[in-house]
Amino acid sequence: MSTTIEVGESSSRKVSKEKTPLIGAPKRAGGWKKGVAIIDFILRLGAIASAFGAAATMAMADEVLPFFTQFLKFEASYDNFTAFQFFVISMAFVGGYLVLSLPFSIVTIIRPHAVGPRLFLIILDMVFLTVATASAAAGAAVVYLAHNGNQDSNWLAICNQFTDFCQQTSGAVISAFVSVVLLLFLVIMTAVALRSH
Amino acid sequence: MSTTIDVPESSSHNVSKGKAATIVAPKRPGGWKKGVAIMDLIVRLGTLGSTIGAISIMATADQTLPFFNQFVQFEASYDSFSALQFFVVTLALVCGYLVLSLPISIVAIVRPHAPGPRIFLIILDTIFLTLASSAAAAAAAIVYLAHNGEQDPNWIAICNQYGTFCMETSEGVVIAFLAVVSFIIMIITNTLALGKH
Repeated sequence: MSTTIEVGESSSRKVSKEKTPLIGAPKRAGGWKKGVAIIDFILRLGAIASAFGAAATMAMADEVLPFFTQFLKFEASYDNFTAFQFFVISMAFVGGYLVLSLPFSIVTIIRPHAVGPRLFLIILDMVFLTVATASAAAGAAVVYLAHNGNQDSNWLAICNQFTDFCQQTSGAVISAFVSVVLLLFLVIMTAVALRSH
Repeated sequence: MSTTIDVPESSSHNVSKGKAATIVAPKRPGGWKKGVAIMDLIVRLGTLGSTIGAISIMATADQTLPFFNQFVQFEASYDSFSALQFFVVTLALVCGYLVLSLPISIVAIVRPHAPGPRIFLIILDTIFLTLASSAAAAAAAIVYLAHNGEQDPNWIAICNQYGTFCMETSEGVVIAFLAVVSFIIMIITNTLALGKH
C-alpha cells in the first residue's frame, strides 16, 4: 500500500508576519548538563576561596626574630622573595578571574545547552589553571628550599629560625594547589559537558 | 493548492535483512575539523620535540669549576637541585604521555566528527599541561634564584661562578615553557573543534 501525505494549503490571509521573539526559544530539559553546570558553580566558589586564601596567607606571612645577629637578617616577609611576590600577584589575578567568571557560570546553569559560555569558560579556565599552577609550583620550589636549603650552592635553610614564616608560606602554597586541583576539575567537567550529541 | 507526497510501497520481496555493517558509517566530509586535527598532530610532534630537548639540555647541565675552595662546592649539576630533578622526571612523564597520545591524535584525524578521541585528548592534555607547567615554573624559580640570589636569607647567586651551568638550565626552562604554550594551543584547538559544529 502506498502512503499519501497531504499538506494542506495555508490560507494567504491567515499567514501574518509574526515577529518571533528571539529569546523565547523552546526550552529543552537541562538534564545532566544542568547538573554539571551547578557543580561547576559550586567548585568555582571553592576555587575563589582557596585562591584568595592563598594570596592573603602569603601576603600576611611575616616573622620578626627577637634576637640580633650580625650576618643574618632577622625579619622574613613575603616580599623578601621574588617567587612569593609573583605568587601573591598571580593568585590574586586567578581569584579575580574566578569572581568575574561567576556570571558566565550562572548563564551555563540557565542555558545548559548553549555552547558559547562553556567554550569561553573552558579556554579561560585553562589559561588561568596554567597561571595558578606556575605560581603554586614556583612558591613550592622556594618553600622547599627554605625548608631544606641546598648544600651545593650554600643556600641555608631559613626555616630553622623562621618557623612561623615557613608554616604560613607552606599553608599558602598548599591552598594554591587546592585551587589548581579545583580548576582542573572545572576544565574537565566543562570539556565533558561540551560534548555534542 | 495542496501538496501530495506519494510514498511508494517497498516490495516485500526486495526488503532483505541486510546485515548493516556497523563500522561502515557514511563518511561526512572532514572539513575544518580534520584540518584542526592535523594541526593538533603537528603541534603534538613539536611539543614532543621540545620536551625531549628540555630534558636533554637540563640533564646534561653540568659544570665543574677548575679551582679549589675550602668552603664552596665546586661542581654544579642538575641533581644538585631538587626542583631541577623534579623538572627532568616530570618532563619525562609528559614526553611519554605525548608519545602515547600520538595514535589517539591520528584517530581524531581519521574520524573528525567523533567526540570520543577529542575529549580524551582534552582531559589528558589538561592534566599533563598542569604537570608540565609546574615543572617549568619550579625550575624557573630555581634558575631565577641562581641568577639573582636572594638578599635576606643570604642565598648567593651562583651564576656568577657557574656561567655555563646557568645558561644551560635557563635554556631548558625556556624550552619547557614553549612546550607549555603549545599544550595550551592544542587544548584550545581541540575544544573549539569539540564545541562547534
